[in-house]
Amino acid sequence: MTTFGGPSSASAPASAPAAAVEAVGLRKSFGSIQAVDGIDLALAPGRIYGLLGPNGSGKTTLIRLLTGLAKATAGEARVLGIRMPSRAALARIGYMPQSKAIYPELSVGENLGFFATLEGQRDRTAIGRVLELVELTDRRRTPALELSGGMRRRLSLACTLVHEPEVLFLDEPTVGVDPALRVQFWSHFRRLAAAGKTILVASHVMDEADRCDDLLFVRSGKVIARGSGAELRARAGTNDLEAAFLQFAGLDAEGRPLAAGGPGGRS
Amino acid sequence: MSASRIFAVARRIAQGFRRDERTLGLVFVVPIVVTALLGWVLGDQKDISVEVLVVNQAGPAGQRVVDAMSAAATAANSGTGVGTADDVPAAVAAIRNHQADLALVIPSTALADVASGSPPTLMLISEGTDPSAEGARLAKLQALLASAAQALAPPGAVALLPRIERETIYLSPDASTVDVLAPVFLGYFGYFFVFLLTGISFLRERIGGTLERLLATPVTRGEIVLGYSLGFGLFATLQVIVLTLFILNAIAVPSIGPIPAFTIGLGVDSAGSPVLAFVLAVLLALGAVNLGIFLSTFARTELQVIQFIPLVIVPQGLLGGIFWPIDRLPDVLQAVAHVLPMTYAVDGLREVMLKGADLSSSTVQLDLLVLAGIAVFFVALATATIKREVA
Repeated sequence: MTTFGGPSSASAPASAPAAAVEAVGLRKSFGSIQAVDGIDLALAPGRIYGLLGPNGSGKTTLIRLLTGLAKATAGEARVLGIRMPSRAALARIGYMPQSKAIYPELSVGENLGFFATLEGQRDRTAIGRVLELVELTDRRRTPALELSGGMRRRLSLACTLVHEPEVLFLDEPTVGVDPALRVQFWSHFRRLAAAGKTILVASHVMDEADRCDDLLFVRSGKVIARGSGAELRARAGTNDLEAAFLQFAGLDAEGRPLAAGGPGGRS
Repeated sequence: MSASRIFAVARRIAQGFRRDERTLGLVFVVPIVVTALLGWVLGDQKDISVEVLVVNQAGPAGQRVVDAMSAAATAANSGTGVGTADDVPAAVAAIRNHQADLALVIPSTALADVASGSPPTLMLISEGTDPSAEGARLAKLQALLASAAQALAPPGAVALLPRIERETIYLSPDASTVDVLAPVFLGYFGYFFVFLLTGISFLRERIGGTLERLLATPVTRGEIVLGYSLGFGLFATLQVIVLTLFILNAIAVPSIGPIPAFTIGLGVDSAGSPVLAFVLAVLLALGAVNLGIFLSTFARTELQVIQFIPLVIVPQGLLGGIFWPIDRLPDVLQAVAHVLPMTYAVDGLREVMLKGADLSSSTVQLDLLVLAGIAVFFVALATATIKREVA
């Protein structure tokens, strides 16, 4: 896959205000399980961040804490300087959950109209724009029930973008989306970032990681490494991000725990 | 046919149940609860009390009958009270005001009947809105009349039992069960379907991820609940309109070819305003919308919501005053009945449709007020459960 460096990764606005998304000592436990175990974050506007880790590593819980959908056991989250949960901040956030979260009995256009209204988007032409982006313009009257899995995913993304949010939390946005459209999605994310939006993309697919400006490797509710793809590769001494992740996680190539040490200790 | 595949399917179902402890619990608990409730209601049903007003138009001879009835009532001590009224309008007014259940008129011709050796004909006046309760009261009255006749008969003679002609204040004495139960249908079935629809719809919202997605927008919980109330309330309204029209109208369809003639609709007469009946039914249905939202919190699958139906529907059917009057229920169940919305809806609908009560009736006012209160209570409760989901 080609890397998607783009100008913005090099030139984050010099006058960048405080971080668009911040987390301080964020924790969430379910019983004895620490789903998010003390995460600190500061995401700058105009950049795409990749949240990478295996299933069950706490990516979704972290996003739910950042959007205020889950209540933190400890610590706090701020979006655009507003402490979450906050309805004022939600109007400026786009959240695409992992589940499709659309109404199957409504048509594509009706789903978008519904979310546009809830999000306070008064400009109805926005619906046409996001439909074009996800290539569902000719499906506007089709009930979501009749869409393929990948199309539903696209509709879900369109619903997330319809109110032109400043901060985007995308939980596995490209699952089930075909490669050609995936490339288009990423170029759109890149355009949004260039326009100053902050984007956090959770994924367990490492080949998407290089499209992000910065990566956060998470495992067992902790950030085990952060930096650009190139930095993380260099630190792990490998050309393969997957191998780098395993090293930071203290695992060998087969996913078994290493004896001790590893680059994770240095991160 | 492969036995192992058949067993695989059966095992899959058993495994599913094993994981779904709530369904497993409900499968055993619900039938027991429902059956126990029915047993309780039927087994401990209180003896019905009868308050009879006698209108004596037969002078001193009639007075002897009244005295004999009073004496028999005192002797039997079975919750039967005998009083007198000056004339028929006074007795009817007393029944309308719930001060008496029955009025027995001893006409001036009664004495002549007895003298000629034929049984006297008495006239019995009742409300006519509750055949089962009135049947039970009539049986008690006849027992009372039999003992009175026995006491009055000359020693050794066979007591002459009076013949009873019936008159009713509201419906005709030969009103069908359909006429009497029609108002109840309106409330009960509307409630049932609205509850079911909302419960499942909101559960899908919870498990399909759309509720979480909604909560990631600036929408408030109150807005969601009120939107649901409005949306499903609209459907409940249409449903109640259709049901009201069906109950009140009868369209005769002539026979076409091999299809015999039939009637669409029940053709029940509403004594009072159909609009008021409709308002009562809609208020009841609004409570059902929010009860559905509330109960969907406690279910994780559609299967579980469906199992709440008997728990919600059966007690209201048994205790709401549909099949027997609430004052015949055991005391504990009477207390329960007084917090069920169905009780107030059934009462209000009967007052309006059978007795022709309007908004000036304090009974109807109370019923409307309580139903509105219950609807508001469940709106608040439904809102609170959405909060808990997100916390």
